[in-house]
Amino acid sequence: MPSNRPRTGPRAVSRRAFLRLSAFAAGGLTPLTSPGARRAWGQAAPAPKKGGTLRVGFYVEAATMDPHLSGSKVDRQVYHNIYEPLVTLDNKLGLRPGLAESWQQPDAKTIIFKLRQGVKFHDGTDFNAEAAKFNFNRMKTEPKSVRKGELASVESVDVVDAYTIRLNLRRPDAALLATLTDRAGMMVSPKVIQEKGAELERNARGAGTGPFQFVEWVKDAHLVLRRNEAYWSKSGGPYLDQIRYRPIPDDTVKLQSLQTGEIDVMDYVQPRDVAAVKADRNVVVVDVPSLADFAYQLNHTKPPFNVKALRQAVAYSVDLEQIVKGVWLNVGVPANGPIPPTSWAYDSGIPFIKRDLARAKAKLAEGGKPGGFSFTVTTNNIPLNIQEAEVLQAQLAEAGITMKVKLVDSATLLADGNSKSFEMISYQWSGRPDPDGNTYQFYKTSPGVSLNWSGISNPQIDAILDKSRETPRQADRKKLFSELTRLLQEELPMLFIVHPIEPKAFSPRVQGYDPVPDGMMRFREVWLK
Amino acid sequence: MWQLVLHRMAATIPVLFLVSAGVFMLIHLTPGDPIDVMMAESVDAGVKETLRRELGLDRPLALQYAHWMGRILQGDFGRSIRNREPVIENVGRRIRPSLQLAALAMVISLVVAFPIGILSAARRNSPLDGAGSLFSLFGICMPNFLLALLLIFFFGVTLRWLPISGYSDPFEEPLAGLRSLALPAVTLGLALAAVIMRTLRSSMLEALAEDYVRTARAKGVSEWRVIGGHVLRNALIPVVTVMGLQLGTLIGGAVITEYVFALPGVGRLVVDAVFARDYPLVQGVVLLIAVGFIASNLIVDLLYGWIDPRIRIR
Amino acid sequence: MAGSTRGSGFAESPPAIPAASTAPRPERRWIVLRRAARARLAPVGAAVVLLAALGAVLAPLVAPHDPLKQNLGNALARPDRVHPLGTDNVGRDVLSRVIWGTRISLVAGFASVAMALVVGSLLGLLAGYWGGRADGLVMRLMDAVLSFPPLVLALALGAVLGAGLTGVLIALSVVYTPTFARLMRGQVLSIKARDYVEAARALGASGWRIAGRHVLPNAAAAIVVQAGLSVAFAILAEASLSFLGLGIQPPAASWGSMINAGRGYLQQAPWIVFGPGAALFVTVVGLNFVGDAIRDALDPRARS
Repeated sequence: MPSNRPRTGPRAVSRRAFLRLSAFAAGGLTPLTSPGARRAWGQAAPAPKKGGTLRVGFYVEAATMDPHLSGSKVDRQVYHNIYEPLVTLDNKLGLRPGLAESWQQPDAKTIIFKLRQGVKFHDGTDFNAEAAKFNFNRMKTEPKSVRKGELASVESVDVVDAYTIRLNLRRPDAALLATLTDRAGMMVSPKVIQEKGAELERNARGAGTGPFQFVEWVKDAHLVLRRNEAYWSKSGGPYLDQIRYRPIPDDTVKLQSLQTGEIDVMDYVQPRDVAAVKADRNVVVVDVPSLADFAYQLNHTKPPFNVKALRQAVAYSVDLEQIVKGVWLNVGVPANGPIPPTSWAYDSGIPFIKRDLARAKAKLAEGGKPGGFSFTVTTNNIPLNIQEAEVLQAQLAEAGITMKVKLVDSATLLADGNSKSFEMISYQWSGRPDPDGNTYQFYKTSPGVSLNWSGISNPQIDAILDKSRETPRQADRKKLFSELTRLLQEELPMLFIVHPIEPKAFSPRVQGYDPVPDGMMRFREVWLK
Repeated sequence: MWQLVLHRMAATIPVLFLVSAGVFMLIHLTPGDPIDVMMAESVDAGVKETLRRELGLDRPLALQYAHWMGRILQGDFGRSIRNREPVIENVGRRIRPSLQLAALAMVISLVVAFPIGILSAARRNSPLDGAGSLFSLFGICMPNFLLALLLIFFFGVTLRWLPISGYSDPFEEPLAGLRSLALPAVTLGLALAAVIMRTLRSSMLEALAEDYVRTARAKGVSEWRVIGGHVLRNALIPVVTVMGLQLGTLIGGAVITEYVFALPGVGRLVVDAVFARDYPLVQGVVLLIAVGFIASNLIVDLLYGWIDPRIRIR
Repeated sequence: MAGSTRGSGFAESPPAIPAASTAPRPERRWIVLRRAARARLAPVGAAVVLLAALGAVLAPLVAPHDPLKQNLGNALARPDRVHPLGTDNVGRDVLSRVIWGTRISLVAGFASVAMALVVGSLLGLLAGYWGGRADGLVMRLMDAVLSFPPLVLALALGAVLGAGLTGVLIALSVVYTPTFARLMRGQVLSIKARDYVEAARALGASGWRIAGRHVLPNAAAAIVVQAGLSVAFAILAEASLSFLGLGIQPPAASWGSMINAGRGYLQQAPWIVFGPGAALFVTVVGLNFVGDAIRDALDPRARS
């Protein structure tokens, strides 16, 4: 059922959502849930009805149907409809029971999960503690498992009784529960794994417990799910008969497909299309503030950005507000650090770095380049990045800094980043529910190849990162992350630009969508008018 | 004759070796690594190394090439790194839309080019001829991505007559399939029509200048019978040549059209594979496209030599 | 006749340019020019090309605004007095960018064809004149390049060489080299058999002398024809590559990259696409007229 809980997002979001809501009320359209809005006109929500096929357009195809081996973001979209994690997120990023009914932590290195009873996998087998233990072991031992790093803190898993498991940790990990809301916590039928093996990657029939089950996947054409009639929860959905995912790599074509009614759902509207799409009566847009951040990593290991003052000079020359307004068209908010406003750890008391040309020039002098300097930014060859680079170029030029732009494709970007052959490089992180997921692997001292592309190695930062994992209380962790944010603004491993909003677009027939900031589209409560 | 065929086929083998070496070298020189691309958000170096070792990516390049060529010679094109399916299967899946698109584009181009070409030649230097020349100019000079955008804009979005993305197989759902291929086929077909029209016109004019035509006219045979008789048949030879050669390039070359219209064809397959650094897929598909191109050239050459005994292939 | 159709693999409809199997008779230059002038549309084509060239050279003087000046407050503005072709997504004047883009497009077209012409002709000369092993090797190599899907070749080369105009130029010239190589080889082979060449050789002239004095001037006609036709398609090919995201580094822009950037705004601000699109189309048409006129003048067989 549609959620009416108001969102407390940043001002810009709720203001816009309110305006849109008024437009809807005036236009007589029935809007979907929107952040910052209540049902202002006091109508009762229409009753959901079963039936229909939801056609979803994604920019790329899923890579694999095996959540333990999955490394790409778009896979998760499908997973959240056919698999279920132990713990789930509500639309305020709070932790809620998933396949685990409840959990306790008798001490910092132990978590005991009481599992939900009466849940069956799509192949008919029972979900129980043995199944859960099988899953965890597979994630930790399967050679190609991508989840090993995520579960690094888990030492072993014991079956306490038929529906209770105990996770024994080798160190305290305050971020683990949040990690278990995604792939690392998803439960796959052991029978399917044992019988199908590698075939699971292409064919997930019978594998999950979720509101929808896998039907077929015709590569390059469609991926089809259908309603799980035996779903364990009898209140609410699922309502849809079928979900059909279609890969449409081209943004413009995808939008036009939605507008002409060829698809019903689109996962992302480009900022440049948002205004036009919102004005289109055939389409409903839902703004979903995301967990993502968009930044530029600065290479601390070689000139010019091994000099802190020069990094700061660049930071002071950039006008974030202009970028967010002119390039992102306010589909996002300027970033003060890696933690997004949707997170409980966000500190609204720390402002983002404002432009200050005088200070920039002073920093230039401090760094030994009073007349300015030049460097190259490596960025992705997509329109948004190109545009942003051009605007940055103009802004930096006013401070006497010459920025050259090198456009590359994603593979080259990854190669350059991993090998630290860049001066400044663009970086996007889709975000994780726990602030640890947005910070640890990027700022902790990591020799060798890692996501710490900047090469930053700061003992203070390292200490805070480790401590935040060991501190159990959220309020204490929040203080730590505030301190981290201040340090990051000082040391500048990254130039933080924006926390994007990920607008999703729907045909007006689609009802009941409840947006969760992790950007995953869960269709359990969705129905078609 | 058969000796000629075998001789020609033998001559293509070194070419194919060169292509295989070229594509292998080229794709391995591009920066980036398929495992990094596949697992962009993960940092688990151990898993990545395991995968690399499994795929043999850690061995010296010369060895990898030898290994790959060895398997190719046994007919094994390897597996795509991204979806672990055999390259042949990947291509097989994608060849249908590409072939159907090419066929439909050919049909459209013939339907458009023949009347215009014949009339232009028959009514030489008339306004009709001028219009025909203008059309062919338009077709050749119009950047096809621009044409695609315009078509999408008018027929897809403004008029909403035709779907602008996606693909349905005409053999499974005839109407939906044809509609999904309509705009892309027109985009390719118009450009093709321009070329064919030009060739047809010039070859018809040449044929019309032959002695036997003058004789026939002197005998009082009607103009249309003259044209429909020998002229057209003789004029067709270069046209068939052109069409055959175009087909060879069309299969792997309709990338932009496939991208803009979101068609799951071979062109897009190989370009996506390049972006993902999917080595076996790029290598295998490029080799297959090269084989297709060489084969179509060979067939056209042989056909030409067989039809027109005056011209023999050296 | 193994026809070469590499007019422009990227435009996905390479025109058929039949490799001439016999060389044109040597024409005297003034006859050539007169015939060219007589061709109906040649003056129009020449005018267009001249205009484009002038625009390219005089861009700083002719362009009404700074093509790089951004004005985020006036983005996507409709065409008006101040901005005859409107502004783009960061408020830059489209007309000025189109004028400056002429430089890139023309350079890309002419430079890549020039490189292909030089390299290809040398290879063709080598192959045709020395024959035997060299011929076999060179021609197999050219066949291999021709069989390679051109877009993939350009993409991969672009990724290897790094993005930018240089990479595009090299990629394009590689793609067009076989055309010239084949053409030159064909010319050389037919001229080699001519009487006066035999005579020259009998008189003891060296290979280079024969090549320079007899082969090149006679082959020049066919080469020039091919070059003229290829330039237009090279410009289209560059636009196609830029459309796919290769090539020009911002903030400079070629017509293709402008169309690509403007593609997302087609509904809201179509002028961003149509400005450079029209310029591209008109320039290519003009070059085609000129190319046709050259061919009509130099190659009597192709005259209709």
